[in-house]
Amino acid sequence: MTHEVVRHLLDDYVAGDLTEDARVPVLDHIGVCAICRSEVDDLEKLAVQAAALPRAVEPPVQAWAEIRSVIERDARVERTVSRRSSSRFRAQPYALAAAGLLVALVSSGGTALYLRERAAPSVAVAPPAAATADPAGAATLAAFTIEENNYLREAAPLADVLEQQQGVLAPETVAQLKKSLRIIDDAILEARNALARDPGNRTLVEMLSANYRHKVDLLRRTTEMTRSS
Amino acid sequence: MKMLAVEIKDPADGPGADDVRRAQVGDVDSFEKIYREHSPRIYALCLRLMAGDAQSATELMQDVFIRAWRRLDTFRGECAFSSWLHRLAVNVMLENARSDGRRTARVLPMEDTGKLPGAAKSSGIELSMDLESAIASLPRGARMAFVLHDVEGYQHQEIAGQLGLSVGTIKAQLHRARRLLRERLER
Repeated sequence: MTHEVVRHLLDDYVAGDLTEDARVPVLDHIGVCAICRSEVDDLEKLAVQAAALPRAVEPPVQAWAEIRSVIERDARVERTVSRRSSSRFRAQPYALAAAGLLVALVSSGGTALYLRERAAPSVAVAPPAAATADPAGAATLAAFTIEENNYLREAAPLADVLEQQQGVLAPETVAQLKKSLRIIDDAILEARNALARDPGNRTLVEMLSANYRHKVDLLRRTTEMTRSS
Repeated sequence: MKMLAVEIKDPADGPGADDVRRAQVGDVDSFEKIYREHSPRIYALCLRLMAGDAQSATELMQDVFIRAWRRLDTFRGECAFSSWLHRLAVNVMLENARSDGRRTARVLPMEDTGKLPGAAKSSGIELSMDLESAIASLPRGARMAFVLHDVEGYQHQEIAGQLGLSVGTIKAQLHRARRLLRERLER
């Protein structure tokens, strides 16, 4: 084995991953090559240092409180959804689509109404909270961003399934579901833009969360329906 | 020399088994106990994967536990609970990296090295800090391969599976990581 070949095998040699057939010539070469011997020493030292690094470090104390608030909200939503989602909707695609549209209109209407009220001069007395000057606002936005990412990740595969399976539903049902989703998406966008301007606004956070939940719930129930069709 | 295997403390069979079962049926207090037990290791992993950025590491860890809560019903005790959480952490990190390109470009500011675990050690402090800083400065792929293999003790095959890459690619990333680390530690 040449020096160049051996050098490419040194990581595996140090990790103990070489077969006996390969290990013996590498060992022989190391015995006579100072460069490779030195490289093996360095690799072994690095492996020991890496294995000795601490495996645990205490996270910031407030981290759990934020997790708990999200999972408790989850639990509340789940209870509400399980009360509301009846087998009637699963059995009747059109009823689900119509209910979805209703939910979308309520979400969108609520968001629009709230944003209009905020925009009115009578409510615009207090200056908008600046993210930099309001640590509570920044914390609210940070906690919500985690939640939002989860909703987005949950919604994406459901939307893919719906896209692939929509053939099993009646075209008018698909059209109405898509319309509902568009309305919810518009409401989300509108509220998200408002939240970017006012990151400490808990009402907006609640509103956005509700809109995301409606979207995920509608997608989930629709995909369940397509699977059972 | 073989690396140490990931230390397994498995609540599915051990003293925390009841907590896992109770959390699976919605008991938040039991889930908090699970969090208290596992969060230091998950946070350390997140901190290294996120190049020492404490804020990103905290967000990632929170994400991991929220996901864990939502997916607890899928944990059937077929592997160690700690392994299940680790895999989740790596998967969440990869998803975050895909959905937020900015995270992948983050570079460790030197003042953040103090937040890394090695900085708290009373002995070998300079060595540990140097190694942590050097790990944090690695390119993302090399850093993940090094942290998962040389620090956390995963096998090449497991890492390749988790990252969706070939074993050859992981070995190449590891080789690159070790070469860069040795160069940086020698400076």
